[in-house]
Amino acid sequence: MKRLISSLSLCLTLSLVISPLAAAVTSTADDQGTDYRKQWHSDISTGYQTLAAQSQALKDQAETYCKAPSSEGLKQTRKAWLDAFLAWQEVRFVDFGPVEQGNRAWQFQFWPDPKNLTARKASYLLKDSAPVTAEKISESGVAVQGFPMAEYLLYDQTFSAGSNALPADRTCSLLVAVTRHIADNGANLANDWKGFESNYVGNQQYTDTTIRAAMAGLEILEERRLAAPMGLRGNGKRSVYNADAWRSGTSLIAAEASVRGLKNYFLPAFSSLLHDRKQSGLAQDIEQQFDEVLANFPELDRPMAPLLADDNAFRSLQSLYIDITQLTALVNDRAAVELGIVRGFNSSDGD
Amino acid sequence: MHELTRRSLIKAALAGGAAVTLTGCGMLPEKAAYKGARQYTGAIGLADGSFAVGAIAPDGKMLWQSPVSTRCHSGCNRPGSAEVLFFERRPGWSFYVLNSRTGERLHHIQAGEGEHFVGHGVFSQDGRFLYATASRYDPGEGIVAVYDSQQDYQRVNTFELNGTGPHQLTLHPDGRTLIVGLGGILTHPDYDRIKLNLDTMKPALVLVDSQSGATIGRFSPSHHQLSTRHVDVAPDGTIYAAYQYQGPAHELPPLIARYRHGRYEEIDLGESVHRKLGNYIASIVAHPENDLVAIASPIGGTALVFNGLSGKVLEQASIADCAGVEALAGGDFLVSSGRGKLVRIGKGQPAREIASMPVQWDHHLV
Repeated sequence: MKRLISSLSLCLTLSLVISPLAAAVTSTADDQGTDYRKQWHSDISTGYQTLAAQSQALKDQAETYCKAPSSEGLKQTRKAWLDAFLAWQEVRFVDFGPVEQGNRAWQFQFWPDPKNLTARKASYLLKDSAPVTAEKISESGVAVQGFPMAEYLLYDQTFSAGSNALPADRTCSLLVAVTRHIADNGANLANDWKGFESNYVGNQQYTDTTIRAAMAGLEILEERRLAAPMGLRGNGKRSVYNADAWRSGTSLIAAEASVRGLKNYFLPAFSSLLHDRKQSGLAQDIEQQFDEVLANFPELDRPMAPLLADDNAFRSLQSLYIDITQLTALVNDRAAVELGIVRGFNSSDGD
Repeated sequence: MHELTRRSLIKAALAGGAAVTLTGCGMLPEKAAYKGARQYTGAIGLADGSFAVGAIAPDGKMLWQSPVSTRCHSGCNRPGSAEVLFFERRPGWSFYVLNSRTGERLHHIQAGEGEHFVGHGVFSQDGRFLYATASRYDPGEGIVAVYDSQQDYQRVNTFELNGTGPHQLTLHPDGRTLIVGLGGILTHPDYDRIKLNLDTMKPALVLVDSQSGATIGRFSPSHHQLSTRHVDVAPDGTIYAAYQYQGPAHELPPLIARYRHGRYEEIDLGESVHRKLGNYIASIVAHPENDLVAIASPIGGTALVFNGLSGKVLEQASIADCAGVEALAGGDFLVSSGRGKLVRIGKGQPAREIASMPVQWDHHLV
């Protein structure tokens, strides 16, 4: 409780320290900007390569399992799904560049899914008698093409108790086809990101774009992935169905991976930028706050549902939430204001 | 069809000339022939996360705020009445009819079954019929839904647009032709705001006869990912369309098109200006008293005024999250922002802030 109070007072202090006159990042000498973007390009490339490799491993494991199903094989396929899913979480904040092409980000993870299209589409595809081809997956929409569909087939409790449960033939075909689609997307994304290098490094607007992407990633984490299932928004009811990856119970380990991805792939160049802008103190605060958030793990690498159901257990979730709100405040409010970066009411809505 | 279009537009241009004379005597600075009150209305987001529609006087004073349950986008004034309408933002399941003097809610009209609004509407000149762009979302068909305000906004007609993703529409000064921005982007309410057809988009500027519903003109941008969202028309009948480019951010295609004298052309504002627009224009307004056109880009944080005939940029201002634009009497424009600013911008003088209020203005002022 004491920690909670001190955290909250820190939040208040932070929100008051605002410099009203901030120049935009893009006004920095551009050769410096080029250095930041070179580093971001290289760091994000590392993340994309990991995603490509883990997606390939998931596809291979799904094929192996479906050729000779066993309970151990199912376990290994779930593990391969999680490794690939976490590799995606690490780069999920990147919302620009090749991941925008063909809605790739949505293909990897269609979420939120309030109408449960994942289950509806699975049921529809499993009833259909036509073979589950790559074309079928390509034309079936983003709810079929990524990690949530594979998660549904591998983890959904109701589904796993029914007659279509793995390793049923048609379900196996669907699982293999979906993981192939994920692996193709992973390989193409890593490849296209390499080809994007000169456009990315050569255009100074991508500095702002990259920082905005991290800001949006943090905001989605705080608001949609945590506050919403914790009942801190909307009708005030706690519900794990508002979280992502609730079927596999990996909402929190996924949150950890997203923070780790921001730390590994975004923070290094961002820290350099802040240092160059005479914001070393702020850079240090942000680095420390990343560690504060990550210190909640691995203790919190647990399914979210039991934590929502028990007030005592809920406190550990609150503690994570507060650490993340502080990180968001440091990056999205303080650093963004210092750097003159705006994420607006109108600038992100697409009308 | 091409001949018909040209004829009707030449006729329109003549009618437009008369409109210029009428507005020349210091009447209201409106592009439409009529506006009920000397005020500007916009959708707003409030500090507590709730939403409203708010009206301001030209000096920036808030006249009223009317709470609504979800975020609205744009709307229109009903000629000859004290009614202002606002549409829920995409996917919009309803529109509100408000008393423009008090903000009191008069009607709340739901979208038709299987349809949603997209944020925009316009009235016939006599104020009777409302034309609202909408989408039949399962087949992804763009339509103009027609409502009769004299029958409590009963739905009376539907015009097919033969395309996807209509957005803003306005009425030509001929009083008859609807000018529709067809964005070309397929979305579905089950899929959040995901753009489902970026490879196969077919955006267009579409002209529709508001009496027969027939499409009488259709013009495609130079690239299939130039989503044609916003439109306006000058009193002389010159039509402007503003694009939002769906391709990579480092490409800088033209973002504005003009249709006059039977020719559809794109206007290049120059690379340095294009860099400031983020491939995204939220509003375009042709001033009814002069040749000036203003646009606002919230992504680029830039509003600017250019000469509609020459394409020369005359004034620019950096306004964070700016989106709404309206014409002011005397030849200037009013720009609103998601940060509560109202800024006056015109030719030959620097932009100046006239108000800053604790609200977030959504895309459009009407």
